Amino acid sequence: MVTYCWGVTDDQVFKALADPTRRFLLYLLFDRDGRTLTELESELSMTRSGVMKHLKVLEDAGLVVTRKSGRRKLHYLNPVPIRLVHDRWVSKYAEPWVAALSELKTSIEE
Amino acid sequence: MEKVFEIYIKTTPEQLWQAITNSELRQKYWFGVGIETDWTPGSGYVTGHRAAGVSIGEGENLEVDPPRRLVQSFTALWSDDVKAEGTSRVTWEIEPVGDSCKLTVIHDQLNDTTNAQIYGGWPQILSGLKTLLETGGTLTTPGSLMYSQAGS
Repeated sequence: MVTYCWGVTDDQVFKALADPTRRFLLYLLFDRDGRTLTELESELSMTRSGVMKHLKVLEDAGLVVTRKSGRRKLHYLNPVPIRLVHDRWVSKYAEPWVAALSELKTSIEE
Repeated sequence: MEKVFEIYIKTTPEQLWQAITNSELRQKYWFGVGIETDWTPGSGYVTGHRAAGVSIGEGENLEVDPPRRLVQSFTALWSDDVKAEGTSRVTWEIEPVGDSCKLTVIHDQLNDTTNAQIYGGWPQILSGLKTLLETGGTLTTPGSLMYSQAGS
């Protein structure tokens, strides 16, 4: 088993990304970083505790990090674990092929 | 705008501090780019690759507290677009956790509409830093050492 972070495994990163609500939370932070739980909750039709559970999974996987700002807890998207997966799986020999196939798919589908 | 990047690296705070502040070590994971400075608080620094004629950034060492905390102002120099973004701030925090270190990089004082190039390199830099400290090797992903002569 490959460990990327303190006790964080590939499995946790992939499982965290496997849920559409959690990907939407990451998208919200990608769009605007440093949001509070209340701000994130207002974008979802879900209970506060439901949002907290999803954020906990994302935090445990290292994909979301929090910082205190006064009394507020702000959430940030941490893209580093995704980069670690990328760097582990895609070598300099494979990347030109991956990029070419990705561009081909985009141009055909447009 | 503020961006926060976090990574756990199996190393000591002293080794991590050295990898961040030693120019030759930085070249192994920072797109091949080194740094020139004397690391005294208030002193200036420049980053780039002198032999290749590349200037990447410059700024001031605002806080230097080895091996825990480093704060630098940062002005990007690699293109006219990024130069126009002005000066931001980069804070490095090192916290020992068990046999590892939690490294947090906070890049703040960014414009709200800042060019993503200004902070977009951090995941690749931190991934390379982890690889260097944990394996002694360098990343082979494209662009990892784009400015180093060895990598060109």
